[in-house]
Amino acid sequence: MTNVTVNLSEHGVVPLANSTAVQRDSSDSEALSDSAESAAHLRLEGLTKRFGETPVFSNISAEIAKGEFVTLLGPSGCGKSTLLRSIAGLTQLNEGRIVVNGEEITSLPPQRRGVGMVFQHYALFPNMRVADNVAFGLRMQKVPPEERQQRVENVLRLVELNDHANKFPHQLSGGQCQRVALARALVVEPRILLMDEPLSALDARIRRHLREQIRDIQKTLDLTTLFVTHDQEEALMMSDRIFLMHDGRILQQGDAEELYTRPRGHHAAGFMGNYNVLLADQARSLLGEGFNTSRVALRPEAIYLEPTEKEERRGDWPIHSGPGCQGVIRRRQLLGNIVRYAVQCGEVVLSVDALNRGNRHLLAEGSEVMVTVDLDEVQELEE
Amino acid sequence: MLPNDLTLPRAKISRLPMLSRWWPSPYTLVVISVFILLALPLVATLGYALATSWGATLVPEGLTLKWFLSLWSTPRFQWAFARSMFVTVGALALSLILVVPVAFLAHTRYPRLDAWMNGLILVPFAVPPVVSSVGLLQLYAGGPLPLVGTPWILMFTYVTIALPFVYRSIANSLRTIDVASLMEAAQLLGASPFKAFFLVILPNIRIGVQIAIFLSFSFLVGEFVFANMLVGTRYETLQVYLNNIRGASGHFTSALVITLFLFTLLLTWLGNRQAGHALAKEVRL
Repeated sequence: MTNVTVNLSEHGVVPLANSTAVQRDSSDSEALSDSAESAAHLRLEGLTKRFGETPVFSNISAEIAKGEFVTLLGPSGCGKSTLLRSIAGLTQLNEGRIVVNGEEITSLPPQRRGVGMVFQHYALFPNMRVADNVAFGLRMQKVPPEERQQRVENVLRLVELNDHANKFPHQLSGGQCQRVALARALVVEPRILLMDEPLSALDARIRRHLREQIRDIQKTLDLTTLFVTHDQEEALMMSDRIFLMHDGRILQQGDAEELYTRPRGHHAAGFMGNYNVLLADQARSLLGEGFNTSRVALRPEAIYLEPTEKEERRGDWPIHSGPGCQGVIRRRQLLGNIVRYAVQCGEVVLSVDALNRGNRHLLAEGSEVMVTVDLDEVQELEE
Repeated sequence: MLPNDLTLPRAKISRLPMLSRWWPSPYTLVVISVFILLALPLVATLGYALATSWGATLVPEGLTLKWFLSLWSTPRFQWAFARSMFVTVGALALSLILVVPVAFLAHTRYPRLDAWMNGLILVPFAVPPVVSSVGLLQLYAGGPLPLVGTPWILMFTYVTIALPFVYRSIANSLRTIDVASLMEAAQLLGASPFKAFFLVILPNIRIGVQIAIFLSFSFLVGEFVFANMLVGTRYETLQVYLNNIRGASGHFTSALVITLFLFTLLLTWLGNRQAGHALAKEVRL
């Protein structure tokens, strides 16, 4: 790719200013990082989509670097899938531009955009064997048979399915099907990989395994990837960057840590983790502190409980300092390694997560507790 | 007879326990009796077609192939056979060319079309052939399109009769696959919509198309009312021929009926074998 571009410029054919910069090797990218525009591999500019009068998403802009794994996270109906489909060219945009590698692809048909896509329900061709499914894209590109076979073999080895090349899709498990779909999308060497809730139809164990596999492959190939999901754990685990979407807008973006620990609005706080979102007045009466915003968010695992009754203090309880209040445990749910309590503090019911460190640390429903809040982890919400 | 039954794994059919080693179960007895009841007229016709003469005795007096041989060597029969094939095959080809794209679009782009089609395919059942043939006679006897008496009117009429079978079985097989996603996946991999349709959608509804063909074929080859009213002796098809020679030897007409039956049977078997092959190919690995 690099050579081609260089040759073109030497021969006086000057490609778009952006593309020369972007198509350089990744080693150059540091030198170019001062110019954000040229570092972007995929650029979305003011994308807007309406169904009739109803906006699905509006004015979405983003820049995604080469090799970046970006997740569109949001509840169903927030427009994330439609956004993905519009980048693939399966849905027409009302406004905006999509630029890949400096080349505008907004009005190209799907087959000429150089994007690969993996669907939620695999969309494998039922009449073709695994190898033929994977080879389909290469056949369309008229790649000669020997090379085609070699590339199919390589990509099937990458997804660990080389033993299943002669099977039909209906003979495979869901996880295997999705790996075939991934191989089929990868074999044509797309510039961008789009994945539309690829793990949602799979059971939990396979899902966890496939998450890691997808991430590994994506890193190995240095493939720019847009991944759609409604599962926050999935998003946190896999992504370089998460776009949190709500009602057709990107509410907040950032890496997993930033998005999880510093939600900016109450939608973000409500969707990420299991935040307690309180009105400022409630928080003040609880914690005795003043807040600058109308709402604050308390992370359930940054609230600590201690039994008030002496005889219940059978174990060692870590000492926490900070503002707090008295409360009563209303409900206890055991989630395995975590115990989730609903604690009544005055009018407010707080959700509190504690590590399940042993039976002597379990607090009974109805028992009185001292609630301590780590003030550093209290988020003031902008909206 | 749902077309999709063919794609079900056969091993799923549970076996009923046998009552004893030597006696078939009551279910088997019922099935066998029904089979005998249905097969008896056919067997009798076959016997008559093979008999030298079959008058006052319980079984035919002697067996011979002469009725078949003389039937097959009668030019009038050969012509009628060829005409029937021409009209039927033509009608089937025409209805497939028309209906496959319609069913595809009704399934993907215009879902409201499906409701319309479901109403439309009832019409050939709702209007008796005698009534609609009178209407067709009135329309096409003269005027700008004098088609009555030509094979074309029969072909076009047969398209309308085949429509319910063809549309329904194709629509059903489209429903078993995720057409929209498959088309999108194929297009993203570089196929034009046309290529995507022929390489991905069509092979997956092939069984439905075959069932449509064989269902309508056996129905159309046996069609008499339209053939007789619209064309009659001017373009003598098999059924009209059968009707016209009914005064001739009964052995001869029996041979004709059996020939027709065997031919339909052969085609049905071919169709099933095709579907079975597709299935076997998938199960083998």
